[in-house]
Amino acid sequence: MATFELYRRSTIGMCLTETLDEMVSNGTLSPELAIQVLIQFDKSMTEALETQVKSKVTIKGHLHTYRFCDNVWTFILQDALFKNDEFQENVGKVKIVACDSKLLTQ
Amino acid sequence: MADQVLEGSQPVDLAKHPSGIVPTLQNIVSTVNLECKLDLKAIALQARNAEYNPKRFAAVIMRIREPKTTALIFASGKMVCTGAKSEQQSKLAARKYARIIQKLGFPAMFKDFKIQNIVGSCDVKFPIRLEGLAYSHGAFSSYEPELFPGLIYRMKQPKIVLLIFVSGKIVLTGAKVRDETYTAFENIYPVLTEFRKSQQ
Repeated sequence: MATFELYRRSTIGMCLTETLDEMVSNGTLSPELAIQVLIQFDKSMTEALETQVKSKVTIKGHLHTYRFCDNVWTFILQDALFKNDEFQENVGKVKIVACDSKLLTQ
Repeated sequence: MADQVLEGSQPVDLAKHPSGIVPTLQNIVSTVNLECKLDLKAIALQARNAEYNPKRFAAVIMRIREPKTTALIFASGKMVCTGAKSEQQSKLAARKYARIIQKLGFPAMFKDFKIQNIVGSCDVKFPIRLEGLAYSHGAFSSYEPELFPGLIYRMKQPKIVLLIFVSGKIVLTGAKVRDETYTAFENIYPVLTEFRKSQQ
């Protein structure tokens, strides 16, 4: 099954990658196994976001740039307002990368 | 809208527009040949505000904000520019798209620029009896309110299609030069006044 690798760039994904790199370089883990862990991470992130996250956020801002290529949407927003039930926050510049999860099941 | 401001602030040239109404241009479609093969994926990846989904449509869809337009860019190097409000704006926008393609490293030219269609609209500000109009201009009219609420009037000279609505709003399409839009409206205006709906 194909996976989306976009969550690897998140804080938790970067930390995992760093740790795996370290383990591979000092010989505690084989590179093949490290790759397997990353693939499992991709799957787990997708599944967790789908099943365990219930909160909703609305994002509203000025669309500076958009792109759709290779089934990936990229949006760059300026002066965006992030809003949910508990808080709201203004962010000067936001980059949104979005994939179609339907493509995973095909 | 610029044209409407113009219409309000400056007296209408009644020699050219005897009705006293000047249709507002709403959309210009133009084409140009960039005369070089294009790698659409490379363009979609590098340019801003571009969409490329080859499974749905074989062109890159790109937009700019000034003049606010959309371009369809094909691998053959042909381009369609839509959405401009005047002929000059359409040409300026097409030049801007060509420049973007050049900046991405393609030897784009600017050949055979042509205005393909001009759409205008206006409001005669009185209701119209479409049935009566359709009946007396049967050769040109198609009025099927169950299919579409407007009367479709295919004028022969100039060759312009008009959508005429009960409300008195008119859409004129099919022109290659704006004077065809203006002439078509001046041709139809007396007919519209003839079929003016008497208000209850």
